[in-house]
Order: sequence, then C-alpha cells, then structure tokens
Amino acid sequence: MNGKQRILTALRHREPDRVPLYIHAINEKPIILLTRDLIPDLPDPEKTFYDMTDGEKFKMLEALFVVHEHYGVDGFTALEFGHEQRVGPEAVRDGWGVEYQLNRFGLPVARHHPLPERGDLKGYRPPAPQKENLLLLLAAKARFQDRKAVFWMMRGTFVLSWRLCGMENLMLKMFDDPDFVHGIAQMTFDYNVQMLDLLVEAGLDVLIIEDDIADKNFPLISPDQFKEFINPYNRRLVETAHEKGLKVIRHSDGNLWPLLDILLDTGYDGLNPLEPQAGMDLKKVKDYCGDRLCLLGNIDCIELLPEGGPDEVRAAVRQAILDAGQGGGLIICSSNSLHPGVKPENCRAMFEAVHDYGQYPLRL
Amino acid sequence: MDLLGQLVEQICLGQQERVRELVREAIEQDMAVTRILSQGLIPGMDRVGEKFQTGEYFIPNMLLAARAMKGALEILRPLLAESGAKAVGKVVIGTVKGDLHDIGKNLVRMMLEGKGFEVLDLGMDVSPETFVKAVDDSVDIVGLSCLLSTTAPFLRDTIVALDKAGLRDRVKVMVGGGMVTQKLADDVGADAYGQDAALGAVKALELMGGAR
Repeated sequence: MNGKQRILTALRHREPDRVPLYIHAINEKPIILLTRDLIPDLPDPEKTFYDMTDGEKFKMLEALFVVHEHYGVDGFTALEFGHEQRVGPEAVRDGWGVEYQLNRFGLPVARHHPLPERGDLKGYRPPAPQKENLLLLLAAKARFQDRKAVFWMMRGTFVLSWRLCGMENLMLKMFDDPDFVHGIAQMTFDYNVQMLDLLVEAGLDVLIIEDDIADKNFPLISPDQFKEFINPYNRRLVETAHEKGLKVIRHSDGNLWPLLDILLDTGYDGLNPLEPQAGMDLKKVKDYCGDRLCLLGNIDCIELLPEGGPDEVRAAVRQAILDAGQGGGLIICSSNSLHPGVKPENCRAMFEAVHDYGQYPLRL
Repeated sequence: MDLLGQLVEQICLGQQERVRELVREAIEQDMAVTRILSQGLIPGMDRVGEKFQTGEYFIPNMLLAARAMKGALEILRPLLAESGAKAVGKVVIGTVKGDLHDIGKNLVRMMLEGKGFEVLDLGMDVSPETFVKAVDDSVDIVGLSCLLSTTAPFLRDTIVALDKAGLRDRVKVMVGGGMVTQKLADDVGADAYGQDAALGAVKALELMGGAR
C-alpha cells in the first residue's frame, strides 16, 4: 500500500498494511533539524519562514517534502499561502483584513479585527478564494503524485468568525446581537464552500476543518452556543465536502468531551489532535466512538516530545497502537503541531516506532 | 429577594444595566459601599466562578458577568476611594514574553477583580524586566500567563529575574494558562497554579492568607 491508500483505508475503519503516520503541522525548526543531514545549506533553524529569503523558502519546501519522504509519513498537510501581506516588521494582514502580530517563532496571532460591530459590515467585501494560494497543495500533488494523502487545513466557522470580530467580542455578541454572529458565520461559510471547489479541482484527498473550540478544561463556548452559532455552518461544510467525495477530519485542541456527541452527529470521518492533557484519552475515545471516528493524534507534544527520551516516545506510540489500532481507524500523529520545542530525536523515534509496531495484523 | 440577593443574581446573569440600577438603589438607601461590594458583587462573581468550574457556565457567561461587574465598579469606585476601603491585595498580571494570547489572562484579571483585588495588567508579551519594574511595595502577587509550550521557559526566566532583583521573597508568584500544569508550576518554582481562571482567583486569595 502507499501512503494515500493507507490513510484512506484507516479513515474507512479498515486495517491497512500498517498504522498510517501523519504530521498535522510542523514548524520551521523541526523541519530543519530533521533534514539538515540530508539537505545542504538549510537556513538557520531559529529563522522564521516570514524572515527567509525566497531562496530559503524554496529550500524549506524541499525540506518539508523530504521530512515526509525520508521518514515515511503517509499524509501531507497543505494550507493557504500568499493570502498574507507584510504590514510591518512583525505583522501581516490577510485577505479578510485581519492583522496578525508574529511572535518570535513566527506564529501569527490575530490582533486587529476588521468587523467588530454590525456597522462595519457596511461596504465590507470578503475576499474570494484564489487558486494561486493553493501553491502548497499543487506542489505536494506534483511531488507525491498519488503516493501520499494530501490534506488541506481549512479554518472553520469559529476561528474565522473570531478573527473577524475579536474573540471576546464574538462571545458577547452571541448574547447582544445573534444576527450579527450568524451573518459573520455565513460569510465565512460562503468563502469556504467556494474554496472547496478549487480544492477538489486541485485533487485534494482529505479536508481538515481546523476550528479550535476548547481549552484543556472546557469548550470555549457553551454546547448550546456551539449548536446555534458554529456547528450548523461547519456541518454544511462537511456535507458539501462529502458530496464532493472528500473525507473530512475535525481538528480542535482541547477537551472536546462536552461536544463529542454533537461532533459525531455532524458526520466527520476523523478527529484530531486528541490532546492527552485535555482529557482526550485515546483508549477512552476509541471505546466511546472509535467505530465512527478515525482517531488522528495523541502522541504528547507538550511534555513527551519536548522533554522525554526516544524510548519513552516509542513506548507511547506502541501504547497508542495497542489502545486504538485494532481494526483500523487510527492514524498516529502528535497531539498538536511539531513545534520548535520538540526534540528531533523524539520525532524520529515517533516516526520509526509507527513503522516498527504498526504492521497489521498487530502483534504487540 | 433583598437587594443584595438580587445583585448577586443579576451579576451571575450578567445583566449590566440591571446591576447598575441595583447598585444605584443600594447607594440611595445609604448602604455602605463596602457592603455592596462584599455582599453583592463579589459573591455574584464567586457564584459565576463556581458555575464555570462545574461546567455550567462557559467563558461567554464569565465575560458577560465581568462586564456587569465592571459597570457596577464604575459607579462604586469613586465612593470606595472616598471611604478609604482597601483592596484585598494587588496583583501584577501579564502573558510572558513571546506569548500573544490574552483571553485567559483577561479572564483571570476579571475573576481577580471579582474577588476584590486591584489588578495591574501589563498586557501581552511582557519581558521579565518589565515584570520586575512593575513590582513595587504595593504588589502582593505576580501572575504569569502562558499558552504556548514554546514560551514556557519565560515563566522560569521571569521568576529568576524577580529573584535576582531581590523581590522573590516579597511577592508570591502564580502561573496558569493553556500548557501550564501543576508539575510545570512546581518545576519553575511558582507558589500557586490556577487550572482555570476561577480557580486562579481562589488561589490568589489563598496566597493572601484568605483575607477578604
């Protein structure tokens, strides 16, 4: 089996030849540290993508592909590129008019929100999805052909909405001006649905709706608010993506237990990233809904990958496969992004352990 | 229900206008401002914190309640100053260097104010030096918030900076935020860890010796 077949088989809850391996997201530093023995003259690992020259960016793209090829990663995540403009030494603005401040690791955090009030909608023109911003997806398809499953990270209703009007403001508007919240949500849905057409045309395999809705303790909004303001729009996205033949993964950080039945009912094919620290115990989730949701994630990137050792990482991968691998429906991935703090030797141990322990039929 | 009971209930529901009306009514009835605060507003926010911790309330409910509390404090603050009433304690709060996420820190600030603390909010991406500069004789607690594991080292750096400045014995340090655990709090040498905003405020009060 190739990577794409492996991922799609696991998503259909059948056993592939081995448990698939996936990287949901990875930062510049681990990309460089994992490939610098394989590719000469990579940029300084402390440099952020935003600060790299065009030549360095091309090298990073090559390095990103090599991480997936060299370590046998079965799925590749693509995301929008080219929709942001630099508007200051440490700030970028996207096509929606949302401005982001870059932290020292190049992580953009939304700081200026163009639509805080109903009146701001007057004269506002949302962006239209651009095919040229699918560069990473097109490059991945060209590179991997159909040997790896290509995923697209699409921001969902909650994230796009709060970026447009501010998180605290959005939450208060749910009480003060529900129609405004629905108006914003509809606008984000319209954008995403147009984007879906472009993605399918480009040959996408799996859609990830990335819509962080919980912290480690609780959902950020109440289940009732989730059902009223957010999920109906995401549900229509899932339905539209399914009609187009895509598998759909739901990504959200945090403790999703209070929302899990709603997510199950929404028809997602998979759930990511299953943070152990947020109570998303892999075995518990598998027992509860493993027959309905493929599980992607759970290898701890908060304590284990930054501070543990390779043996502990291998043990964690083995345990995850034991807990949730039987019958398919498991894709190993870290419990969130491979961020600048993870140790490269631990990433390698995670990749290798999946190949060592993940062969079906499982013999652990 | 008596006026203070109504105040508790309306804070809990986040009804800002109604809360302001009730506060004005209480003042007209010559109720002591400290009593309005300690038997109306603070118990209201306490109840909000409890409901948050049990999962009955979510962040939007806390924001709504905090907005109502703020509306009430706008009326009460000048009178509190006149009365010479003192805050429970003073907390300097901020997200550590490199961290640009502030909703958690804002919630802690609101819950601390809801317990009667004076809060100096240094905002986001606050360097250890800025924390040190902000600590004067009036400060009791320094609160450090950190969402990302990449910025966690700055929890320790800030505590070390307080130590080097000779301030560590004078102030208590609380930590909290997305990736912070009790273990990390212990590792970096914090005095308290708040698993969530409501618990953070409870812990702050404990650090003050439970005084109110």
